[in-house]
Amino acid sequence: MMNTRLVRRVLCATVLSGAAVLSGAVLNGMSLTAQAPPQPAPAGNVEKGRLGFIRVGCAQCHGREAQGSPTTGPRLGPNGLPYPAFARAVRTPRLQMPPYSERILSDADLVDLYAFVQSRPKVTTPPALLSSDPAKQN
Amino acid sequence: MRRAAAVSAAMAAPAGAAAQSPIPAASTPATEPSPTEPEALTGGRAGSDFMVDTIKALGFEYVCANPGSSFRGLHESVINYGGNEKPELLTCLHEESAVAMAHGYFKIEGKPLAVMAHGTVGLQHASMALYNAWCDRVPVYLLLGNTLDATIRAPGVEWVHSVQDAAAMVRDYTKWDDTPMSLPHFGESAVRAYKIAMTPPYGPVVIVADSELQERPITDHSGPLRVPQLTLAAPPQADSAAVAEAATFLVAADAPLLIADRLARTSAGLARLIELAELLQAGVISTQPNSLPPIAAGRMNFPNRHPLNQTLRAVAAIADADVIAGLEIANIYGATHIFRDQLERTSRPATKAGVKLITITAGDLSIKANYQDFQRYVEADLTMAADGEATLPALIEAVRRLITPERRRAFDARGARLADASRAALANARTEAAYAWNASPISTARFAAEVWQQIRREDWSLVNGNLSGWPLRLWDFDKHHQYIGVSGGSGIGYGMPASIGAALANRKHGRLSVNIQNDGDMMYAPGVLWTAAHHRIPILTVVHNNRSYHEETMHLQRMGNRRNRGVDRAHIGNQIDDPAIDYARLAQAMGWYAEGPIADPGDLGPSLARAIAAVKRGQPALVDVVTQPR
Repeated sequence: MMNTRLVRRVLCATVLSGAAVLSGAVLNGMSLTAQAPPQPAPAGNVEKGRLGFIRVGCAQCHGREAQGSPTTGPRLGPNGLPYPAFARAVRTPRLQMPPYSERILSDADLVDLYAFVQSRPKVTTPPALLSSDPAKQN
Repeated sequence: MRRAAAVSAAMAAPAGAAAQSPIPAASTPATEPSPTEPEALTGGRAGSDFMVDTIKALGFEYVCANPGSSFRGLHESVINYGGNEKPELLTCLHEESAVAMAHGYFKIEGKPLAVMAHGTVGLQHASMALYNAWCDRVPVYLLLGNTLDATIRAPGVEWVHSVQDAAAMVRDYTKWDDTPMSLPHFGESAVRAYKIAMTPPYGPVVIVADSELQERPITDHSGPLRVPQLTLAAPPQADSAAVAEAATFLVAADAPLLIADRLARTSAGLARLIELAELLQAGVISTQPNSLPPIAAGRMNFPNRHPLNQTLRAVAAIADADVIAGLEIANIYGATHIFRDQLERTSRPATKAGVKLITITAGDLSIKANYQDFQRYVEADLTMAADGEATLPALIEAVRRLITPERRRAFDARGARLADASRAALANARTEAAYAWNASPISTARFAAEVWQQIRREDWSLVNGNLSGWPLRLWDFDKHHQYIGVSGGSGIGYGMPASIGAALANRKHGRLSVNIQNDGDMMYAPGVLWTAAHHRIPILTVVHNNRSYHEETMHLQRMGNRRNRGVDRAHIGNQIDDPAIDYARLAQAMGWYAEGPIADPGDLGPSLARAIAAVKRGQPALVDVVTQPR
């Protein structure tokens, strides 16, 4: 894993516009609250989405399980954005994320990606190692 | 031999005889004068002995070097005349590693480490590491060998390894250099160089030790030889009127924010920042490498779990602030603006309208033109060209004088709100860390949590690496030596040698040095692994092995998608795989204890425990961890 060698030191936050569930707050001046009204998500194929998530490079910044990384991209699921906001963020990102046009990511593939990130299991019981109480970490 | 013959010939020829010799006609081939007495082949003290006297007087504990003939006299004086003690010579396998070791050593020890190198090829190897030190404001003391007198150079390589102005190629990113022409000159310049390097803003310096000056015996004609007294300069403190004005801004503010980057040169700087923050009940952003916004990666300025630490909600804190004080921050523009890297590159303010901006930085005292490490110009309301740490006591007192009981009540209410926000951000980070907990390759969060579990009861020191920001979220940093920042110039190849230099400094304190080592960075000059083993420098290195130059992979994704060509081939030129490098075997071959590759998260804790046991036995140890990309 490398830091950039480029003179222009562009940090690599490939933050999905409006898609962050990572902090539950405000990231880079963007509201993280979904702006689109709730709509049923189109049905996608989770397994195709899993493969696509790696093939089209989402995993490079958001992790193979869409778990997110503090320095490159937020967790995308479960309980991410409604599909319209998700699609808008992928097609027309507001910050550093590469834009995914329909020429390089079809609508069908995008639906599959969404199905994959939504299928990620929710953490219900954090591991003992992550307890805020050091006494519980053993 | 070549030089000894020439010198002895010159010494043997009586001055009067030389003066009476006829000057050869231009067409007469030049010949060396024949000695009239038996040639002297040995001598007593040499010039480089005095150089070692000077180096010893300056208090260097170590000198790093990859050997080179242009400083062979100095090398011999260090190990024989100087007894190879204070300084002890550390054998390095690359000049870049030697300088980077000095870089890391300083950030723990607070004093420079000397480096010897060829004035030509050695400096060319060392130059990138020197640039990192310059950008990171770290003093490195570089001694360059060179043979200026063309008439005594050996034919062949020695000409190739000689240069008119050795320091010229690094003058844009060093603080000072000199080429002394006599031993007394060397003494003055060597002491002056140390003083300049150690006056904030710190920076690397270069002294050229001419080979003739090194090798010629000391005689009555060598001049009066004494090492001048060293008196370090007090760091520059800000103007008192400007300090008072800054205090007025901060006390009157509803939401003051302190952003610290390379502020805490010493542990006193950390203590002073805590004092100022608590006095104001102001939020603090500090120690967030590779973050967005790109700020505050330089030093351990403020405890990460302090209730006033707002680093994990930096964007919101910056947006809320009505007064921002940038304390030794290199990139205040980046901290206060949002940059967008799309087809049209744009920036917009991250702050609200009317925010007052104060900067205190000694960086304003050392800006040069060619290299652009000074970042974009920022329109501040009050700037002080002064050392931040040295200015904090006056600022604290000025603030204290202005606080009324009414303001104190407002401050306390603000502090409570900030503490709630900080607590929530830390709790949220722990929750986020749990996602992909059992994934293979191992998540960076799990990686950080497993390392923390093994080191948290030790006197530990994170000497390199940021692991996607997870240590900041999951570890407990409250001591100055627990974090030493990044390379400064983002020049790759810094991590392993700098961490070994820092571990060298930590060794005498009995600390557990932890290096979270990026895989690509490690491969620039892996010979430094041998240096650590050879000199018995204990360190735990955990390789963050994502098998790529990952930052560049993401840049390629931007380019490919921007041009509607997709990211399918973004790995070409960036991936370090096929074959995957076996870092454990590489380290073992250099004398390290090593395990890996570890791809199952369940195996990581026990592997780390075994490696730490080896470190406690005095051995460097490495665990290779195959990770998620970020």
